[in-house]
Amino acid sequence: MNYAIHTTALTKRFGSHTALDGMDLAVETGSVFGMIGPNGAGKTTTMRLLLDIIRPTSGRATVLGRSPLEGGAYLRTDIGYLPGELLLEGRVTGRSLLKHYAEISGHVPRGRIDELAERLGLDLTRHVRKLSKGNKQKLGLVQAFMHEPKLLVLDEPTSGLDPLMQQEFLSMVREAQHNGQTVFLSSHMLSEIQSAADQVAVLRNGKIVTVGDVASLRASAVRRVVIDFTDVSADHIRTTLVALPQLDDLTVVDGDIVQVTGTVEGHIDALVKAIAPFHVVDLRVEEQDLESSVINLYANEAKK
Amino acid sequence: MTTSILPLTRRALVDSWRGLLGWTLGMAAVVLLYVPLYSSFSGEDAGFEDVIKSLPEGLASTLGFQDLSSGAGYVQATAYGLMGFALIVIAATLWSSAAIAGDEESGSLELTLAHGISRSQVMLERSLAVIVRLVWLAAVVFILVMLLNEPSGVALEPANILAGTLALLGLGILSGSFGLAVGAITGRRAYASAAAAGIALFGYVLNSVANQSADVDWLHNFSPYYWAFGNTPLSDGADWGSLGLIYGISALVLVIGGVVFNRRDVSA
Repeated sequence: MNYAIHTTALTKRFGSHTALDGMDLAVETGSVFGMIGPNGAGKTTTMRLLLDIIRPTSGRATVLGRSPLEGGAYLRTDIGYLPGELLLEGRVTGRSLLKHYAEISGHVPRGRIDELAERLGLDLTRHVRKLSKGNKQKLGLVQAFMHEPKLLVLDEPTSGLDPLMQQEFLSMVREAQHNGQTVFLSSHMLSEIQSAADQVAVLRNGKIVTVGDVASLRASAVRRVVIDFTDVSADHIRTTLVALPQLDDLTVVDGDIVQVTGTVEGHIDALVKAIAPFHVVDLRVEEQDLESSVINLYANEAKK
Repeated sequence: MTTSILPLTRRALVDSWRGLLGWTLGMAAVVLLYVPLYSSFSGEDAGFEDVIKSLPEGLASTLGFQDLSSGAGYVQATAYGLMGFALIVIAATLWSSAAIAGDEESGSLELTLAHGISRSQVMLERSLAVIVRLVWLAAVVFILVMLLNEPSGVALEPANILAGTLALLGLGILSGSFGLAVGAITGRRAYASAAAAGIALFGYVLNSVANQSADVDWLHNFSPYYWAFGNTPLSDGADWGSLGLIYGISALVLVIGGVVFNRRDVSA
């Protein structure tokens, strides 16, 4: 199997704090791989290790077949990187900043910068420091994508983008994949990357908790449900729903509208069938960010 | 890989031209204000010698005012040894601490390093950008002193003006290299500034203390300021050994900074 990114027991300590704890990760060439987890889980640390901005305490990483340190500047021309905290400064226009980064990147095809800027609705004539957070993020995306690198490493790429631009970003990711590029991206929300990523690794405390495809992770995820009923007594609802093994944290609030909240693990089918006889005013299924849902899942398994 | 010549140096220079303009005006002002006043200080009837003689001996030597009657002594004491030195050191401190450490603290160094450019090249190009600006300031001093040389009556040898200016530039570059290297090693702007200003202040204070009496004269040996100006380059020409020492130490410090920079983690 051909891997764009491969790490074995990759570990990074900052003083006594272990940011990354023996991570084994394999990202297939040509895939879109997502990494999710709460802040401080080690997502950014992983990416910075891949770019040779920081060096591993132990273990090793291979990026496009080479170690980041040995591959050096030459390797990095094949990578497009978007930092998680993008700080762009200066009294220069977006175009001039991108020209500068193009000089120290791989080859940028003529017209590529304008094409990307147009797609994202980014005005390249404005001064960088006057740009909003979202526009700076767009500038960061353009500099990551412009040289059509073999590997894109994108730390929280959708943060600051409005939903329309998130869609545009996802289509850029799909195109990159279509061109044979590998995309490695992170998010703290599964929902932001679920439609892009083939595979997702969940990180927590510097370790990979689980790796899987999005569908199986969703299926095992814990979701919060809120159901409003009318024309039924709270007690009746309670006795019906308490019997469901998939439903936890059940609360029932009485009133004109009886509101039921709870969390569902796994498929929602049993719940839907159980409430079918009643008059349902509203049914909301809210996905918790995968961080908490997966963590719940593992916490529950630990208890069992 | 990089597809053009010195992209980071050019970027740094383009980004900083406004500031450089200000420093150029400041440096020009130092030369333009002091040098033309020589004629009013010099000579038997100017009386400035009497003013200096009336100063306590220690103060005059601390300020380097021992020899104000000659053109070289006057220009050395005012434009080169005091205000010019102060300005070039302050400029070197600000520029060198911003070059790596400032960029790292602001968070923008990370993105530069994530591109197809090595740490060594970043160190080299950013250092070059600082040095080019310092050379520019020194060139401004040189050109203006050359222009004012005859009209003001300071009557310096052009070769000696060059020698004195190279000494001044050397002190600027020495401060700059300490700031660049400590910034590259620690990533902290405050440490970089302290190192750049510290080496200049150390040299100046040591020189002043050593001027006080023959008992402590040996302290001169450890003062970069004395290496630069102790052999009065404006009147006696370049002391290539001393200049070599100043420029050599600067280069060595930059190399050490680059080596450590290559090995360490860069913070977000």
